[in-house]
Parts: sequence; C-alpha cells; structure tokens
Amino acid sequence: MDIKINHIAKMEGHTGFMASVVKGDVKSAKLEVQEGIRLIEGVLIGRHYADMPIVAQRICGICPVVHNLTSIKALENAMKVQATPETKKLREIMELGQIIHSHALHLFFLSLADFLDIDNDIQLIKEYPEETKKAVRIREFGMAIVKVIGGRVVHPLTNEVGGFKKAPNEEDLRKIVADSEGVLKEALELAEFFKTIKIPDFSRVTEYVCLGKRPNYSIYDGDIVFSKGLHIPVRKFEDNFQELQKQNEVIKKVVHAGKSYMIGAIARVNINHSKLNPYAQNYLESLNWKFPDFNPFHNILAQMVEIIHSIEESAKLLKEFLNSDLNEVVTKPYKVREGVGVAAVEAPRGTLYYHVEVDAKGYIKNVNIITPTAQFLANLEDDIMEYIPGILDLKNKDRERKLRAFIRAYDPCISCAVH
Amino acid sequence: MEHRKNFFKPKVAIVSLTSCEGCQFALLDLGERFLDFANKIEMMDFRLIEDEEDAGLKLDIGIVEGTPITEDNVKTLQELRKRSKILVVLGNCAAMGGIPEIKNYHEGVNTIKHVYKYIHGISNPEIKEVDNFVKVDFTFPGCPINAEEFLKYMPEILEGRIPQIPDQPVCVECKAAGNKCLLLENKPCFGPMILGGCNAVCPTSRMGCQGCRGLRPKGKVTAMRQALKRMMTDEEFENTTEIYGLRDDVEERIKSEK
Repeated sequence: MDIKINHIAKMEGHTGFMASVVKGDVKSAKLEVQEGIRLIEGVLIGRHYADMPIVAQRICGICPVVHNLTSIKALENAMKVQATPETKKLREIMELGQIIHSHALHLFFLSLADFLDIDNDIQLIKEYPEETKKAVRIREFGMAIVKVIGGRVVHPLTNEVGGFKKAPNEEDLRKIVADSEGVLKEALELAEFFKTIKIPDFSRVTEYVCLGKRPNYSIYDGDIVFSKGLHIPVRKFEDNFQELQKQNEVIKKVVHAGKSYMIGAIARVNINHSKLNPYAQNYLESLNWKFPDFNPFHNILAQMVEIIHSIEESAKLLKEFLNSDLNEVVTKPYKVREGVGVAAVEAPRGTLYYHVEVDAKGYIKNVNIITPTAQFLANLEDDIMEYIPGILDLKNKDRERKLRAFIRAYDPCISCAVH
Repeated sequence: MEHRKNFFKPKVAIVSLTSCEGCQFALLDLGERFLDFANKIEMMDFRLIEDEEDAGLKLDIGIVEGTPITEDNVKTLQELRKRSKILVVLGNCAAMGGIPEIKNYHEGVNTIKHVYKYIHGISNPEIKEVDNFVKVDFTFPGCPINAEEFLKYMPEILEGRIPQIPDQPVCVECKAAGNKCLLLENKPCFGPMILGGCNAVCPTSRMGCQGCRGLRPKGKVTAMRQALKRMMTDEEFENTTEIYGLRDDVEERIKSEK
C-alpha cells in the first residue's frame, strides 16, 4: 500500500509526502519536496561580503533574522572583526523576538487546528476568539522587537558586519519593556489552554543537539551539545555532521555518525531546561515531563515554554541594554581581511550553521549553509516510519490528517532546507 | 447561508512559487487588518492558513508570489492565469527575478555546481520573471512588498480596476520622513531612480536604496550612474543592481536614454 499526500499546506515551502507499506511493514517514508532551487550559496560566491547578510536572510521570510545574524557572525569571525558587548546583546534580543513570533505563528496558526480537528484558520479564529487575540498579541510583541531594532520585520535592515547602521530608538525600546509584563501574562494564559489540547502519545528514542555550555539558555552563542554527553566547539561542526545528497534530491539531509538526530525547541528544552527563566521553568514543571522526553508532538509545548522564556529574557536583556550607552552598537571602522569563519545561532527550528571564506578584498570565495530543517529531516522520516504502523487501521482521510499533524508539529521550513 | 453570503464576494487566491514567502508573511503580519481584508473576499486558496485542497475554480483575482523555477511552478502559474480575471504579482522575485536571478549575471546554470554533487534531474533553468510566462495585470513591487500599499490598492483591484502607482522617487517619502540624504554623505543610494511607495524604509534605517521596487518610469539612469561614480566603482554599481534583478532593466534603460 502506498500512502501519498500531494501537498501539505500550513507550513513554509512546498512539499508532499509518500510512504510505502507492505503487509503492515513500513518500507519507506519520505517528504517529496516540490521547492525550486535558488542556489543561495552559489550566487554568493564572487560577491562582496557586505551583500551576504542581505542575500542570505532572503532564504526565509519567517526567520530572516537568524540567517542575517549567523552570516554576520561568520563574516566577523572570518575577518576578525570584534562586535561590542552591547551589539551582541542587541542581536540576541532580536533573535529572541524572532523566536517569539515564529513560535507563536507555528504553534497557534499552523499547528493548533490539527489537534482540534479544524481544517482552516478562519474557523479556528471564529471558535477560539480569546485565544486568537492572545496569540496575535504575543506574535506582535515578537515582531515589535525585530522592527524596533531591525527597522522591518520581514528582512530587517540595520544589522551589518561590525554592528548596526543605526541605534534603536530608546522610547520604542522602553515601550517594549513596558508591554512585556502584559504579554507574559497572556502567554501564561495561552500556555494553560495548550495544556488542554489532546496530544498523541508517541515516542521514539533519538539524540538531541543544540547550543549550550553557557550560563544562560543558549540562543546566540555556545558550543554544540549532544544529549548523550558529547560537546564540541562550533568550528568542529562539519567534522561531526555530514550533509548527504541523493540523486534527484534538492535537500542535503544531515546525519551525525550515520544517524538522524533532532534539533529545535524540543531539543533545547530537553538539554537546557535547567537554565530557563522562572515562569518558563514553572510551566515546564506543570507539564510533568520525564526527561529525556521523546514525544515529537511535544515540540509544540516546548515552543510554548520558549515563548514564555523568551519574553522574560528579552525584557531582562532590554533593561540591561537601556542602562548602557545605546550608541555603542553603531558600527565602527574595521579592516577587511582574508579569512575563514564559521558561526552557529539557535533559529526557531534549531541550530543554524554558516561557513564562509573571504579573500583579502572582501569577496566571498566559498559558502556553506546548513539549515535546521535539513538537519532534522532524517529524524522526521525515521519517526514517521515508526508512527505509521499505529495509524494503519484508520480510514484514509483520518490517517492523512494524523500524518499532516505529525509533519507540521516538527515545524519544517522547506524554503530554508532547499535554499 | 454561508454560501449565499459569499455569493457576491470577489473570489481570490494567493499562491506561491519558489520563494522565501516573505511577501505572504508581510500580509499575515498585518494581523487583524489582514483578517478584515479576508472578510471582504472569498479566499479560494491561501495555503498558509488552510489545509483544504484548492478546487481549481474560476477566480476574480489571482495573486502570485515567487519565481517560477520548477516545472510545477510554471504549471501553477499558467493555471492561475487561466482561472483569474486579474492576475496580480506580489514582490520582487515574481516581478524582477529577485535573489535567484543573480545567477543569470554570472555562471548561469553552472552555478548549481557550487551547491550540488548530483545535478541530474533537478530543475535548474535560467531565471525568468513571471511576465515571461503569463500576462500580468498589476505588480506590488518590493522585497518584501509594502503591506500598507497592498491595503491601499486592493480595494480598487477588487472592484476590477487596475491602479497606477505614482511615478515618484523613493526620495519623496525619504524627505517626508525627515531623513538626512545618504547621497549627501557620499553613501550610495539608488533612491532618485527607483519607484517610491515603500515609505523609504531602507534609507530610514540608514541603508541605501538598492532598487528592489524597480526603476520608475521617468527615472534618469545615466545621470544617476554618473552621480554615483564618486562613491562606487562601475563594478560595485553593477553588483549592487544584481541583488534584486535590476541590472537588466538598468542596461536597457541606459540604451534607450542614448
């Protein structure tokens, strides 16, 4: 028997799904990617480094901030440019804003309807008006952070190698801090609602990977940490993870020691939960998970945990930032130098990795971008192989609904994965 | 009852080809104002918010974002044109080729060799804008689009009329925003030759305009090029015009100005 889904909506990018089952045995399960190739790494070669953050962020309309920041960090490492502590803090705040609005979009507008048996968001909004308002306000809070710092939500403008073209407006930042308390309250209420939805019981042991080994819950900086104990510096990334391309495939799936692994909110919460802020910590405890927790559907709740954490964290960092000299973020002159640089930042969907080589005049010689979805795709397919036998007895339509819900819970971004 | 209520609402579909989908997110990011817009129409397809299969019915307005790269993309685009009375294009990729078009100016289809080991069976065409495949009735320019502009012109389009974006440079809104002119600081900015309507969002962030909205009809490219020579080399100018697929339009305009 073949299980085929032509097109999975409510996620970023274009993909279908295909599985083959023989006498109850799942022989294969695979996303059938329908996204075109934009060859972002290829078009960057030969271009001036200043173009890179501008071009690279256009890989993704949901998470441009993280592509922008990771490319800037990699370039700074390649040319040995030092950003000020204020700049690093402001970038981290921006990434927290990115995580808040991306998670709010995914857990409420893309995934939630799956667990309430609703087919479209117009109906979801009608049936859950109060929850919708809260989700919209959380999302708008995250977007406001990105807009005030970056100048625009989709494809921000102020960030560059060395710092920012312009310091953010102090009053606008104070308003975000003032709003944070109310938004945190709404997030906690929405989080209670998410506890009432029925999440399927399924789990499969895997390995989790994310940034860590820092005093805080790592987002902007850290070493690569594995749930089974290994940790490596970011510069060893390509020695430990292998990109594999098969004939006719446009996503290079990534494996570690020949095996699939999982990244993103659920990986971060599993590895770094002891470093969460107090309200996020409380909420996580109320979920009664036993760590490690291997239910991939819990990714949605892990995103809820991270929304709470990121609201707390962004308010805290903004208060610190407002006590410093805001103009310290404005780019100071630096020297263009030949070099190789790598960097990793936690994107909403997991660790994003960039490698760049620049010549003495600042032109790019080589680029490699390894996106979160390319990393967890093999894990998604391994999970689905085990998930299918439990839903084989369902009617076609119900089984298809379960599979869509499963794939969406992962929050894949096919635009990023192909790029 | 629901069906009757929808009877007189214009039927609209929002479809994406290969892209970052940032233009669709710019719309979603309008929040309640986008929902107000959605209430005035019958949304036949918008896959970011609904799971139901598109039934392929006739449309009053088809809206498309992205670059036609795969064969599926081209088919989707052609079918959308056939179904729609008015075809509206969203954003720089569809209108001008966008980031993927950079390859046309350099290694072309060979760019793929930097990215993939196995290239057999992967669609890798030269990048062509949407209007090379189908007739386009209206374009919302920009990377991404200015969602305010979408709200401003859509009511007209929903009534079946094609709006005209005024031929004014980015500079008009830039001055109105109270910005210091970047060109006066010797910082490259394409503002004077580029079609305004973006609220000068880039110069307001002290980022020079790189032309994502395209040349304005009366933009003087030769003169602009001359003025920029003080602050950027020919190569830098050319490179910058490539980011948003502007280079071919600039070359054509310079010829016609001779």
